[in-house]
Amino acid sequence: MVDISSKSGNVSTNRKKTWHLHGKSFPILYLLPHLIVFTIFFLIPLIFGIYIAFTKWDLVRTPVFVGWDNFKTLLFSHSIFHDQLTSGLWHTILFVLISVPFCILVPLLLAVVLNTKPIFAKFFQGLFYLPSLFSISAVVIVWSLIFNPNYGPLNTLFHLDQVWTGTQPWAWMTIVILTVWWTIGGNMIIYQAALNGIPQDYYEAADIDGASRWKKFIHITLPSIRGQLLFTIVTTTIAQFNIYGQPLMMTNGGPNGSTTVLMMNVQQNAFGSGQSLAGISSAMAVILGICITIVSMVQLFLLRNKD
Amino acid sequence: MKNKKQGSAQWLSLIFLIVLGVVWITPLLYGLMSSFKSNLEMQSVGFKFLPINWLFTNYTRLLQNTSNTPVFRWFLNSIVISGGSTILVLVVTSLSAFAFSRLRFRGRNVLFMFLLSTMMFPPVMNIIPLYKIMTTLGWANTPWAMIFPAATGVFNIFLIRQFMDNIPIAYDEAARIDGASDWQIFRIVILPLIKPVLFVVALFTFTGSWNDFLWPSIVFSDINKMPITPGLKLLQGMYVADIPTLMAGAIIAIIPTFILYLVAQKYFLQSMSLSVGVKG
Repeated sequence: MVDISSKSGNVSTNRKKTWHLHGKSFPILYLLPHLIVFTIFFLIPLIFGIYIAFTKWDLVRTPVFVGWDNFKTLLFSHSIFHDQLTSGLWHTILFVLISVPFCILVPLLLAVVLNTKPIFAKFFQGLFYLPSLFSISAVVIVWSLIFNPNYGPLNTLFHLDQVWTGTQPWAWMTIVILTVWWTIGGNMIIYQAALNGIPQDYYEAADIDGASRWKKFIHITLPSIRGQLLFTIVTTTIAQFNIYGQPLMMTNGGPNGSTTVLMMNVQQNAFGSGQSLAGISSAMAVILGICITIVSMVQLFLLRNKD
Repeated sequence: MKNKKQGSAQWLSLIFLIVLGVVWITPLLYGLMSSFKSNLEMQSVGFKFLPINWLFTNYTRLLQNTSNTPVFRWFLNSIVISGGSTILVLVVTSLSAFAFSRLRFRGRNVLFMFLLSTMMFPPVMNIIPLYKIMTTLGWANTPWAMIFPAATGVFNIFLIRQFMDNIPIAYDEAARIDGASDWQIFRIVILPLIKPVLFVVALFTFTGSWNDFLWPSIVFSDINKMPITPGLKLLQGMYVADIPTLMAGAIIAIIPTFILYLVAQKYFLQSMSLSVGVKG
């Protein structure tokens, strides 16, 4: 900006040059479009969201500051909100604990198998990646037919009479199965790329030493793709912590609220029927956010320190 | 000896892949086949993979519905939203990436690190205030409610910048000697060279926006304005007793991303290695 005014003297003689910003740099003009959108639609909502967690708010009137009250209610009181937080958070963590290992191991196995370069490898790669292109609502609708107690192929084909989404542990199983089916594509591609990057001489040297396939996997393959494993474990955990659509549409949080995850409570309290409880709902979201951040930091720390 | 061993491993792999591949594709194919069945057939026949009578009425009925589940309308809304998001993201992030990769200014690295660090905050924390902002702006139930938040993403800048950093700076310098401005260097030198990464960003923005579920189901309450992904939730409630029609709805919703994938599979797969080459 200063540069423009200092040059204003020869603007008339140099108009064309100035217009084209010849030799002059205005980085801010390139940054500004993103920074404006980023500030209004990410940064301000983020800060405002943390502030709201310390208020009583109905989304309409002015938020009333209440200090740590929301957090005290959520963490220590004997209230419905406390129950919502503890059970919702526990169900979320339970889902993360069950699903993440599968979301890492299944694609890793697939990548190793595909890496032996059998015929049609490209076709199978495309096939396993395919579900990750679909929305959760479409995925749940397709799987709800598979697990439909009356007309689903699982029951009709095998002559079973199982209410899959209405009884535990099957309700969690259906959610985990469709999640694994839905999400492994990305990790598989990442592992494939990583495996391709391992120099072949490592394996040849191990062959000379007479190492078994398993030994080679443990001592050559895994250490070589450690970075990618770390990356996918962290991103997959974060992604699964945000679970919402699967239980909402597959089990509707049931049976008896046993698959109701925290995001469903956050959404219900803020935007459900009746008066909005945006303050306490925001506090729940902040707690969930803190959990996600802590877990991913711990993972990064643990996995980085192995060297 | 070694080749023989490798050969047997390949056959084992193939058998494994065929078995798992069948498991993987079956739900999708079964859903697709069921969308051509009549509700009566669905409820009375028991297990049968192919329809006895191929019906297309489930599709036509859904696409003609203009009242409680306007699927065709939702589809068009999704096209507008995903298309708009893609265009805005491309413009905004490529400009920003150019500044971070090619222009010198004070605090460049600090600003970039700051932007990257905000990625660790999960989006759950800003959804409630974002809703308030959208309603205040009068943008709830409009495509803007999804288009602008899509363009906040920092990871796209990161990807594009990484790609730009691999373009030799000598190209810029040659152009600069010829008297090119920053803008001309961006337009004439850089932009044509980063087309592959822009294509990847475009594909991911489009499918990401198309498949977004939580945010649109909050910010769209008007049934005629919503995109198809949250729309399917309404459809599920409406056709709980009519599974074939429900399947038809899901199939309609996945067609665009499926076609994109068929056309640009290479780029989808390449993008994953792009992001990992960076992080791994």
